[in-house]
Amino acid sequence: MSLHDLRPLFERLARAFEEKRDELIALDGKVGDSDLGITMAKGFAAARDAVSALGAASPAAQAKHAGAAIAKAAPSTMGTLMGTGFLRGSKAIETAESVGTAELAAFFAAFRDGIAQRGRAKLGDKTVLDVLDPIAAALEAEAARGTAPEPALAHAVEAARDGLEKTRDLVAQHGKAAAFQEKSRGLPDAGGTAALILAEAFHAAFAEAG
Amino acid sequence: MKKFLNRPEDFVDEMLEGIYRAHPQVTKTADDLRCYVTAHPRPGKVGIVTGGGSGHLPLFLGYVGENMLDGAAVGGVFQSPSSDQILEVTKYVEQGAGVLYIYGNYTGDIMNFDMAGELAEMEDIAVRTVIGNDDVASSIVGEEHKRRGVAGIFFLYKAAGAAAAQMMPLDEVARIAEKARANTRTMGVALSPCIVPEVGKPGFEIGADEMEIGMGIHGEPGISRSKLAPADAVVDQMLDRIFAEESFGAGDAVAVLVNGLGATPLEELYILFRRVSQRFEEAGAAVRNVWLGEFATSMEMAGASISVLRLDAELEPLIAASADTPFFKHVAR
Repeated sequence: MSLHDLRPLFERLARAFEEKRDELIALDGKVGDSDLGITMAKGFAAARDAVSALGAASPAAQAKHAGAAIAKAAPSTMGTLMGTGFLRGSKAIETAESVGTAELAAFFAAFRDGIAQRGRAKLGDKTVLDVLDPIAAALEAEAARGTAPEPALAHAVEAARDGLEKTRDLVAQHGKAAAFQEKSRGLPDAGGTAALILAEAFHAAFAEAG
Repeated sequence: MKKFLNRPEDFVDEMLEGIYRAHPQVTKTADDLRCYVTAHPRPGKVGIVTGGGSGHLPLFLGYVGENMLDGAAVGGVFQSPSSDQILEVTKYVEQGAGVLYIYGNYTGDIMNFDMAGELAEMEDIAVRTVIGNDDVASSIVGEEHKRRGVAGIFFLYKAAGAAAAQMMPLDEVARIAEKARANTRTMGVALSPCIVPEVGKPGFEIGADEMEIGMGIHGEPGISRSKLAPADAVVDQMLDRIFAEESFGAGDAVAVLVNGLGATPLEELYILFRRVSQRFEEAGAAVRNVWLGEFATSMEMAGASISVLRLDAELEPLIAASADTPFFKHVAR
């Protein structure tokens, strides 16, 4: 079923990034500066608090406030990109009263495009995009088929896992990881891992809603 | 590394503390040393915000002051400030007329300024952006959007700052900044590298008898590495690049900035300017405004850059207008 109130989703996201904090730190530490786990945990905690402080509001307003909160609380590249994703996603569901599969598809397509534009990355550069793109594509396909949100998100999580697995074969082109180039080969992308956590939390929130 | 430091990690914040203590006409906002703003914002005036990495003084914050800029978000050495810092500066300088962002063409800065602009629009602040990309060496004609912003951004600050001080509306100030951008070209040459304090050693080497034409202000590779030539020949190599893109002849007027990169003495800058002036004289073009000194540095890098702005009837009085900041003073004649 579709969600009217995204507060449980942002609770779930904050918890997920808190739980995966150390895993992300370890992963990022191999080719970056280990701050990804910290910034994501901080960013999504701030998003949860902002959405909770907002009270009853449209899904778009909730996503917008979450995006602004992430950007402010997590002043790193990935924090800015995640914040951008939620802001752009919110614009794509501006008039929606609730979030179903069609809205999820529109949200994640705008999320992906916003990050691609702001981060100036393209597919295959070993970034968060290589996982966001399969998520958006899966949701778009499920929306076209008229699938309910929970199974659609389950498919998106599978697509995200496949996408993340494929980043192991890629060589980093952006950010600090780019300095490690060949050393990044074999490792899943840290930003992509964050995108998988994002998809899993969305799935869990919609599964819980029934 | 031979630098005056306490702890390398305090380099930026202690520099800022010194600046605030020396210059009461600037202050910090949002309780963040790196959110640097004028102490005297003018109601109803378009606010102009810049920002970028540290290590380039007087760029970027040095141009915050009367008839120039209103705020600067300060990043770590060669690092972008955060979008939140830019947003805080934006909110402070918004005086009811909107805010113009002018900064250099670097990926991190673009991402954070764009993000800040998006957040500012959510708070109903109108934001326009003009990105300096004057470094001719960093990309070919036709791909100017890939060019880095270097010392020539000074002309954008000067023109847009004077326009804003005349209380022009946001779109006009942005148009003037854009016009200055489109007419500014810079070429640089490096003689020795710089050292990031927290790194402690140079990231690259330039041989004792070598120069690198076109090197960026963070040590980005230039277009040619060769034996150091006589000063006149160096200037000719640099100006030939600029003249290949933009011809100057009788009736044309320009402003020229000869900028030291940090370790090059003023004497040498005048030796360079001597040849620059001769070249414009030979072309029949008038050099109306000249500035020499340190305007955009790369810490202890030795070297210089030459920036040329083509003037027209609109830009000329704006470039010539008075300005008064802690790092730059100019009295209109």
